[in-house]
Order: sequence, then structure tokens, then C-alpha cells
Amino acid sequence: MKVTVKHWHAVAQWRWDIGNNDTAGNEDDDDGDVCGICRVPFEGCCPSCKMPGDDCPLIWGECTHIFHMHCLLKWIGTAASKQQCPMDRRPWVTAERKV
Amino acid sequence: MASISSRRLAKELTEIKLEGCPVGIKLVKADDLETWWFTIEVMGDSLYQGEAFTLQFRFDSSYPISAPAVQFVVTDGRQAPIHPHVYSNGHICASILGNEWSPVLSVVAVCVTLQSMLGSCKKKERPVDNDRYVRHAPENPKKTRFHYDDDTV
Repeated sequence: MKVTVKHWHAVAQWRWDIGNNDTAGNEDDDDGDVCGICRVPFEGCCPSCKMPGDDCPLIWGECTHIFHMHCLLKWIGTAASKQQCPMDRRPWVTAERKV
Repeated sequence: MASISSRRLAKELTEIKLEGCPVGIKLVKADDLETWWFTIEVMGDSLYQGEAFTLQFRFDSSYPISAPAVQFVVTDGRQAPIHPHVYSNGHICASILGNEWSPVLSVVAVCVTLQSMLGSCKKKERPVDNDRYVRHAPENPKKTRFHYDDDTV
């Protein structure tokens, strides 16, 4: 038998690598991986953006807390934030991250 | 374009309607994404047994980056609890509504905090500067720069 591939659709899925590798079974846990500021999943985009992905990236703090970068910057940009992490009120220090 | 506040508030409201509020807290009205009312009762032993208070939240378009304006409702026969941090006009001196607000807090989290603030009250009394404050208080409690001097209540 000879098979000729006439056309094909590539399907891909992506997620931010947020350091926890147990991707299996975690998908329905919609409370887990949301931005604490806007409550939108990390793989979605912040309320100011239309397209998720590289244009609306995440930001990691040295305190290990993660947010949509745009959400965190909005917060840090206010005087009220005192430049503290919204989760633990420690001074926000962006973590270096090797991709 | 949906503002940051409307999407986040719509999410919080859906969650409240789906899962309900914690014990003692009830949603009274949330007809829009600007003003919400809740009733709060303190459960168990407390100085406020049998009393229910109405809490009003007002949101601006930058919620949750900026804190909601939260106060007790003192119209329509409703009264503010008598508490050392609650003024008779309904304004509340609580650090999480002011300089310790965080955008990861939520409406329900604020309700729960205020509920426990009432629950741990030892003596029903108004703030010492109540009369002076109420006479000159701005309409919006967020415009008041409260001095948070008591960590225990």
C-alpha cells in the first residue's frame, strides 16, 4: 500500500514555563495558574492586551511570585505599591531568567 | 475596550454567584460594576451578635491596582457598627483599604477582613476623634489619610 500525504495541519500548544513541570492533570485547575492581579490565566493576556504570548509576557520576582508583566508594572508604577510584591509586600526584585 | 476593572470585577461577581460568599457575608446588590453592597454578620461569640451591617464598595476604573472605596452604609435606617476603627459616618480606618492595599486582594477578602476586625473587638466604642472627623470628612473615604496606629484590632 502506498500512502500519499496531500496536506496536513500542524497543531501546537504552548504554556509559559513557570517552573512546575507537572503539566498533566493540572489543566482544569483554573485557580492555579492565574495572574493574581487580573485573575486571567498566565497563558491568556493581561486586560490591556489582545494577544497572548510574547507580546504579553510574564515577570518573575526573586520572591518567586509571578504576574503578567503589564499587570505588575501597572502596580509598581503607583506610589501606593511602595515597589512591593503584591503577594508578600517584600521589595520587588525582578528575577533574572534564562530562557 | 474593557477596562482592567470591569473584567476583574465581572470575574469576582461570577465567582460570588457561583460559589457564594463565606459564612456571614451576603451580596445585597451588584447591579453594575461600580457600586456593590454586602451585608456582614459576625459569626459566633462577639460583641455584635444579632447585628448585621451593610458594606458599600465603590470601584474606579483602575481597580484592583487602586483600592476600592469601602464604607458602611448609614442611610435607609442602616447603621455603622460601633467600633474603635469605624466612624459614625460609616468610614473605616483599616490599613488594607489604604496604604496596605494590594491588587491581589479581592472584594470577598476585604469583607472577611472587616468581619474579623469586628469579631475581635473588645469594646464597643467610636474612634476618639469621631466627632471631629465626621464634621470634616470627605465624601469618599479614600480621600482621608488615616493614621493606622493600632495593629491589634
